[in-house]
Amino acid sequence: MSETILEVTDLKTQFYTERGVVRAVDGVSFDVKQGEIVGLVGESGAGKSVTTSSVMRLIEEPGEVVGGEVDYMGRTIVGFDDTGEELVPRDDMLSESEMREDVRGNEIAIIFQDPMESLNPVYTVGGQVKEFIEINRDIDGKEAKAEAIEMLRRVGIPEAAERYDDYPHEFSGGMRQRVLIAMALGCRPNLIIADEPTTALDVTVEGQILELVDDLQEEFGTSFIWVTHDMGVVAEICDRVNVMYLGQIVEQGPVDEIFHDTQHPYTEALLNSIPRPDRTVGDLEPIEGTMPGAMNPPSGCRFHPRCPDAREPCREVAPEFRVAAETADGSPHRAACLKHEDVGYWDAGPLDSGASETTPAGADAAAEEGER
Amino acid sequence: MGLLRYTLNRVLQSIPVMFGIAVITFLLVNSMPGNPVDIMLAEQEASPELIAAIEARYGLDEPLHIQFLNYIGLSWILGAVGIPGFVGSPPGILQGDLGFSMYYERPVADLMLTRLPPTLLLMISAFAFAIATAVPLGVLAAKRRNQPADHVSRVVALIGVSTPSFWIGIMLIILFSVQLGWLPSGRLVYPWRDPSHYGLTSQWELYYQTVRHLILPMVALGTLQMATIMRVERSSMIESLQKEYVQLARAYGVSERKIMRKHAFRPSQLPVVTLIGLNLTSAIGGAVLIEMVFSINGMGRLLIQAIQTHDYQLTIGTTVVIGFVFVIGVIITDISYAYIDPRVSYGEEN
Repeated sequence: MSETILEVTDLKTQFYTERGVVRAVDGVSFDVKQGEIVGLVGESGAGKSVTTSSVMRLIEEPGEVVGGEVDYMGRTIVGFDDTGEELVPRDDMLSESEMREDVRGNEIAIIFQDPMESLNPVYTVGGQVKEFIEINRDIDGKEAKAEAIEMLRRVGIPEAAERYDDYPHEFSGGMRQRVLIAMALGCRPNLIIADEPTTALDVTVEGQILELVDDLQEEFGTSFIWVTHDMGVVAEICDRVNVMYLGQIVEQGPVDEIFHDTQHPYTEALLNSIPRPDRTVGDLEPIEGTMPGAMNPPSGCRFHPRCPDAREPCREVAPEFRVAAETADGSPHRAACLKHEDVGYWDAGPLDSGASETTPAGADAAAEEGER
Repeated sequence: MGLLRYTLNRVLQSIPVMFGIAVITFLLVNSMPGNPVDIMLAEQEASPELIAAIEARYGLDEPLHIQFLNYIGLSWILGAVGIPGFVGSPPGILQGDLGFSMYYERPVADLMLTRLPPTLLLMISAFAFAIATAVPLGVLAAKRRNQPADHVSRVVALIGVSTPSFWIGIMLIILFSVQLGWLPSGRLVYPWRDPSHYGLTSQWELYYQTVRHLILPMVALGTLQMATIMRVERSSMIESLQKEYVQLARAYGVSERKIMRKHAFRPSQLPVVTLIGLNLTSAIGGAVLIEMVFSINGMGRLLIQAIQTHDYQLTIGTTVVIGFVFVIGVIITDISYAYIDPRVSYGEEN
């Protein structure tokens, strides 16, 4: 098995707002191995983007990484010492300037969701690609320009040399996303974080981009963290998947196992909500309700107010994230669900929970009334 | 090429605007109570013959619509094509003649040539002062958002916006001229004159005196501009700093310094340039007052004198020239858009 390049352990990121503390990422652990594409899946607000920003240490005020560890190839991006009273940043944690000079761009690059907003409207497309390549690789301006044109050509920009001097508004959405991919790959990073890079694109363009990434990934050997809410995209390109719900990972494993031996009801629900040619819209099973805020997450299992399988213990006992099933290649398939724990789930009666409720608060109230 | 064409177009389009200004001003000055001949004669007793002679000399004896046709220059055109009754009419605005000042007894255009440069000097230096201080301060306030530097800049901006420029001018004179005696309180030294005119010996001495004389009126006129530009610069920078392309630059290891200088700065300047262009009008109004306070013989003072003496043609001429300066300012603003933002195109395809 290839070497692990990124290891995230029990990562916690909070936002201090006027209304209270938002635990956007609350104890997330996953890893990325050399040359694989790891999916990070979940609904909007699950904490996917905060997780990736935390990995890059790009969380801005009023947010803060408050715990856990991020290790990138033996270097500590995030690390804390427990003094007994409080957590203090560890000495071996990379400094801000080390992050800027040694990690961001040249080791870990990022592709954002909205290609329309990600390019600076007042500078030329080529100039922007060139600038990032020049900063992150030890080459001079002239070489960087040649490299930028070469990368634009590689991602399928026709007449790359001529279009180098064009401005972003002269490119279509799909073309701009190709430019961002060229930017990322041009810096020759080890790991690329793709934050919903195809969400803003239409389906045919999305297909082209996924194909392009698949090809280039093989060629460059770059690892990817692919953030998405689309299980279809996951199936297409990911090797392993992490399913996130409300700041936590609820299921983690190889993509085939997740699809064919699903261990968490939330993953199941996500899979059931994918449109497929053999089912009409009426056959789709949307997940009931909306995700509650991360300010006051539900007690016990965070998914219980919306979970079709919820039973009594789900309300009180927070499930552990543990190995839930055997896998063919021995890589762990973990899930956080009481079904896999010995807390009396199977003996308890079903929770009269909010399968019919639409709001999470309502679901909570309904569940409580049902108990009386 | 597109730009030159665009500029030419805009200048041509401004001709009807200028014409409109002239028409409206003509009607307004003629509807003022009082008449110029009385003011000219002041307290003197004058015979009806003398009054009639003066009126005839300045064409005030004609009916209003004929006076209008004369002033605009349509009479000249009608005369040129041989319409009886108009032959021999003097040229008007359409022929490039701004008229004749009764009070100064000189062509209006002559007065413009001596009065416009001081006003332009004052306005350009006031805007230069405002931009040179407001842009860095606005950027700093955006960078240190909600920190002490930002709060200080907010208070300074509030004071700048809410204090009338003439009052600032008077206070500056009291403090720096009267109390401290550091700077002169009035009149300008024009850098285009010969040094000997001011009893100076060298060109450098002349420039030095020009700057010394300019500082107080420049600050007085520029403070309001500085305050508003600073606020817009700040909010525009804050907006840009939250843009995804700035976050992307950070994620690729671009230093904060370079983000401030390049990635966030240039996209932020469009609203600032718009504001500067619009503020040219309010600054002209401010310049009128500042010229009074600092005894500067510019367009502002000229306009006020013209109105006070019912000098019709001078009033209209001054107004039209000020309007033209403003139109030029707006055109410069529009052209700088294209420089800042490549999405703005002045090419033929639009």
